[in-house]
Amino acid sequence: MSLDPRTTLAQQDEPPRPAAPGKKWVKSVRVQNGIDTEVWEEVDIDSGASGPSWGARKDLRLLNHDLPRVDAPDKVTGRAVYTHDVRVPGMAFAQVLRCPHPWAKIVRIDLEPAKKLPGVLGAVVLESEEVKWVGRPVVAVAADTPEHAEDGVRAVVVEYEVQRFAITPAQSQAPDAPKIAGNRDNVRVHETEGELADAEKALAECDAVVEGTWRVPVQHHACLETHGVVVDYRGGDSATVYASTQGTFTINSDAARKLKLKGSQVVAVVEHMGGGFGGKFGMGLEGDAACKLSLELKRPVHMLFDRASEFLAAGNRAGGVHVLKAGAKKSGELHAFIANVERHGGVGGGSNQKQPYIYRPATSHTQVKSVLTNTDSSRAMRAPGHPQMSFAMEGLMDDLAYAIGMDPLEFRIRNVPDNRRTDYERQLRQCAELIGWNSHPHRTAPNRSNDELKVGIGFALSTWGGGGGPECKVEVRLLPDGSVEVLSGTQDLGTGTRTYVAAIVAEELGLELNQVTARIGRSSYGAANASGGSTTTASLAPAVKHAAWNARKALFQHVGTLLGVKPENLRIAGGRIEDSTNPESNWIGFKDACAAVGGQGISAQGEWQRELASNGVGGAQAAKVQVDTLTGEIQVLHMVGVQDCGLVMNRIATRSQLNGGMIQALSYGLFEERVVDPDLGIVLNANFEDYKIAGCKEIGLMQPVLDDGDERNGVIGMSEPAVVPGQSAIANAIMNACGARLREMPLTCDKLLMALRGAKRG
Amino acid sequence: MSDPQSTPGAQGAERNVFSRRSLFRGAGAFAAGGLVADAARAAATPTSTRLAGVVELELEINGAKQKVSVEPRTTLLNALRNHCTPPLTGAKVVCDRGSCGACTVHLDGQPVYSCMTLAADAVGRKVTTVEGLAKEGELTEVQRALCEHDGSMCGFCTPGFVMSITACLERKPGATLDEIKHACAGNLCRCGTYPHVFEAALAAGRALRAKGGK
Amino acid sequence: MKSFELVQPATLEAALETLPAARDTKARDSVKLLAGGQDLLGELKEHLVAPDTLVNLKRIPGLDRIEHGADGSLTLGALVTLARIENERAIRERFTLLAEAAGAVASVQIRNQGTLGGNLCQRPRCWYYRHEQAVCIKKGGSECFAYGGLNKYNAILGGGPSYIVHPSDVAPALVALDAQAVIRGKRGERRVPLEQFFTLPSEGSVLRENVLTSEEILTHIVVPAPGAGSWRSTYLKFRERGSYDFALSAVALRLSLDAGKVREARLVLGAVAPIPWRCEKAETALVGRKLDAETCEFISRLALEGAEPLEHNGYKIPLTQGMITKALRKLAN
Repeated sequence: MSLDPRTTLAQQDEPPRPAAPGKKWVKSVRVQNGIDTEVWEEVDIDSGASGPSWGARKDLRLLNHDLPRVDAPDKVTGRAVYTHDVRVPGMAFAQVLRCPHPWAKIVRIDLEPAKKLPGVLGAVVLESEEVKWVGRPVVAVAADTPEHAEDGVRAVVVEYEVQRFAITPAQSQAPDAPKIAGNRDNVRVHETEGELADAEKALAECDAVVEGTWRVPVQHHACLETHGVVVDYRGGDSATVYASTQGTFTINSDAARKLKLKGSQVVAVVEHMGGGFGGKFGMGLEGDAACKLSLELKRPVHMLFDRASEFLAAGNRAGGVHVLKAGAKKSGELHAFIANVERHGGVGGGSNQKQPYIYRPATSHTQVKSVLTNTDSSRAMRAPGHPQMSFAMEGLMDDLAYAIGMDPLEFRIRNVPDNRRTDYERQLRQCAELIGWNSHPHRTAPNRSNDELKVGIGFALSTWGGGGGPECKVEVRLLPDGSVEVLSGTQDLGTGTRTYVAAIVAEELGLELNQVTARIGRSSYGAANASGGSTTTASLAPAVKHAAWNARKALFQHVGTLLGVKPENLRIAGGRIEDSTNPESNWIGFKDACAAVGGQGISAQGEWQRELASNGVGGAQAAKVQVDTLTGEIQVLHMVGVQDCGLVMNRIATRSQLNGGMIQALSYGLFEERVVDPDLGIVLNANFEDYKIAGCKEIGLMQPVLDDGDERNGVIGMSEPAVVPGQSAIANAIMNACGARLREMPLTCDKLLMALRGAKRG
Repeated sequence: MSDPQSTPGAQGAERNVFSRRSLFRGAGAFAAGGLVADAARAAATPTSTRLAGVVELELEINGAKQKVSVEPRTTLLNALRNHCTPPLTGAKVVCDRGSCGACTVHLDGQPVYSCMTLAADAVGRKVTTVEGLAKEGELTEVQRALCEHDGSMCGFCTPGFVMSITACLERKPGATLDEIKHACAGNLCRCGTYPHVFEAALAAGRALRAKGGK
Repeated sequence: MKSFELVQPATLEAALETLPAARDTKARDSVKLLAGGQDLLGELKEHLVAPDTLVNLKRIPGLDRIEHGADGSLTLGALVTLARIENERAIRERFTLLAEAAGAVASVQIRNQGTLGGNLCQRPRCWYYRHEQAVCIKKGGSECFAYGGLNKYNAILGGGPSYIVHPSDVAPALVALDAQAVIRGKRGERRVPLEQFFTLPSEGSVLRENVLTSEEILTHIVVPAPGAGSWRSTYLKFRERGSYDFALSAVALRLSLDAGKVREARLVLGAVAPIPWRCEKAETALVGRKLDAETCEFISRLALEGAEPLEHNGYKIPLTQGMITKALRKLAN
């Protein structure tokens, strides 16, 4: 993703130069590589004056309401076809052979034993020289059944020359550690901000100083549908690639290159996809394998990772260590802050984890470095970097608040950026109200009683960009029979894209939701951005609105002539178009109007409209937790999330997103961790039995609240911030409940029991 | 693939005779192996059978009998998805280890993990998949409630939840929230649809009771 | 999973015929018994076992029977599913902890297929054992990788040279019920107290968890009548993830009370040792005591005497003590 050429990074508070005539500068948030960055944009002063508008919220019929998903019936009956489910004639099933070593040179690969087996159709080498992380696919085998493909994979002979490796950050920082990236050091310092001496001086001025080391494990996306594609290529000059991807348009040109075709000869299809969470862009190793096999066999290849490959070779959320020291004044001012951050992103560097997160200390010093290891590289994962930063920073905030005897809620409000205070305060207070904080007996110090069962409450905040950009092209068709379809190449990850695309058109044309068919997930439809950084809705919805608005305008032209009315005097509602000056007698039904257009009906295009989008989102979350001090059991009783996001497209789907964010954070906080044996170099829990994610019984009362105090009338994405603060709020609730500060995730009973025992002994 | 036919071990005087020698022949040695295991016949006259190589099994899926050519190792899940006509891909391959519930189907009305069931073990039992619930396109109360309450996001776990909730409510339409959680505890969702799934299950239970369940 | 031949015997005798002799070390792993398959299929898929033949026991009549004897005993066929044990009213009333233990296993789907025999004979869940590449001592290697490795879930009692924990929920419950295992071999039947059915890695073969040889089949479990007195029992399981998990620690407790004091007791721990861990000292110490706070404190400490935690599982001591306390309190009320 590249920045719009009209923009410039907003490193200063002032625009880079005076605005051109008729233009003005606006500051907005863009997400690049999963990191939200503030940029200055030069825009037309009067743009949008005559363009489409969402209208007043109170006038909306469909948008900002609870809409049933248009594809829900397909999903509940098993009719929805995901990439995993694609079955085309002659299709071969493929699987990969993974390298069992964290670092090895490949001496020899013999595919012949596999090729001789019954049912095996072909085998290709994916890597022939060197493997630097455990689990990297080396060979792919295609066969008539998945069972035979597995036989083939196991028959392949690969001889390795095993190298010394560094699996843990400690190993790779040892003096004699092997250098993972050529001659470069395993540790890279990315940025240092603020003078350490200044921060230390400021610390000395504080009334209370706290410090701690927060440790965050590597998390997996754990999408239920694994990464994969079905490459339908049978020789010749065209191919269809079905992909489980967050970017329809990240597939076709990439696949074309691999299949030695032109981009225009490949169609990418993403009808339904089973979760992405930031980890599914482009063809990946699985796509590479499928294309190689399909090219060789000239037949369709179904190449979807098995679960172990998904854990080992499909990315993850980087782990990290955040060493924080900070001081506050009795007034509640966060006065001094020092952070040393280590990012653990495997053979990659890991994403941004810069402190301080959200809160603004008077003086701070931060250093961020990354530590390479012989494990699969991290990838973008829902709000990259934010949950890690949040876990450490929000814990520190509570510790400081208690140290000065202040309510952590008030301490937060005191220290958020000035320009966000109103929003965060509103959101925090609503959380407090709903979770029962105001009547909670332990608001300025943790509960130190000897009770066996103890209940605590904790809070945390989130921030994100969520804005859109001019990448989508949408077409709305009004067919002569009155049916309406809207086409965009965009993909629905489960957020409900398909539904709001139809709803926007139905709203504009005065129709019901079921009168509009949304066709998405195909690269032969209009271009659309990849779904990363919560940018889909803010990019797509304005373009859909624009196309629908253009379609209505075109229809009004025809109808105006027909009814003898100026188009600007027409209005559309309830399936008819009427003369607003004489609505009772001068009107025409929508269907008749479409028929009257003649020919092929109306085809209208739409592009992104800046005025219909907005950016910059925030939210607050609270968790109420019960701790059993006898067993260390931690139960999340109640979570509240209050989230702003401008104009909501579909309220129930947005609440689902917010629930989903909170639940993923709960799961991350309580259970998730990739476990690698440091000596053997093997991943010990690459399956859903041992890599635990939250199930039904972990879900207490969940209250997702859409913050209607946010009155911006533009569309903004909100999926990322929803996942940021949950685990932090839970850790704070545990602290509030029993005085045990767990600084290492996951927050499990063993850690709590040992912490409580230590506290008792101490 | 060879034509299905009975193995020697299943015929006449040789039935029930298992010699070590034959057991240790490789599976490939039974190139002609295979038989249609017929539950009714098996029940009438207990017969030891052996399956090797590619075998033809008769399964009863969603009320209709269907023959599939699979291996003894083929799971019910893979048989449904890869060997049925048309393919029944509602049940999903997710963990393939009985840990996530996305492959849940009913065997004689009880929810099971089809990834942890051999297709051969489904012979003589009634298999119901998510495709078999809605009769003539009419959604069941569970399905309808899931649509109304936004019970699916990406939807990959949804067929499994549909099967677990359906079995739970068939047994007890008045299932409480805790009972629903218990019945679905073997189903995982990554998007975090749980709260809306629970709401849907409770609503479906109410609807079923209104229709005259208990 | 490797290709195999599926043999479906119609009688126990025919099934026994298929089994290789125990002394035939080469052949004995080439045949595996299939009951509910909920553990075996996992083992096959992970290539921890790669038999040429599976012997499906499901078509043998009678192995799925539940019988309540006139003397108050209970006989369960090895093929009885966990769901049936969980849901049968008479078992819930008379052998409460067994029904609770069966109901605590995994998920509905697994309990619908998983069998009693399969649950008792399931293999360990140790990360290293379950990882094909880690050829640990339980798979014929020379080392227990958990001992010096990541051993959060491993044994604190009875470990060495392997430090697995026995993963079964119903096993501790059945040991607490003084159950017997009925084992059929080619040369007849033997009965083994379930407590002796399970073997420590230091006693039996480190490659196995019980006394079954490759030419035998566990056919039934017999639970004797509870005996005189007012018996009550419970099975408490601690899961890291409440929805569905193997135990981190579990307590099977059964006792008879006489005027508020314990007359007789059985206390068996799960998930802390390579076998269901019977705490005989604690059982004896319980006799004559009231179930008060002091007893809870005393007994939970006594039961964990001799525990030797590894680097990452020290928490299992306070956890198990807490679970014992909860079980004693529950039965006091």
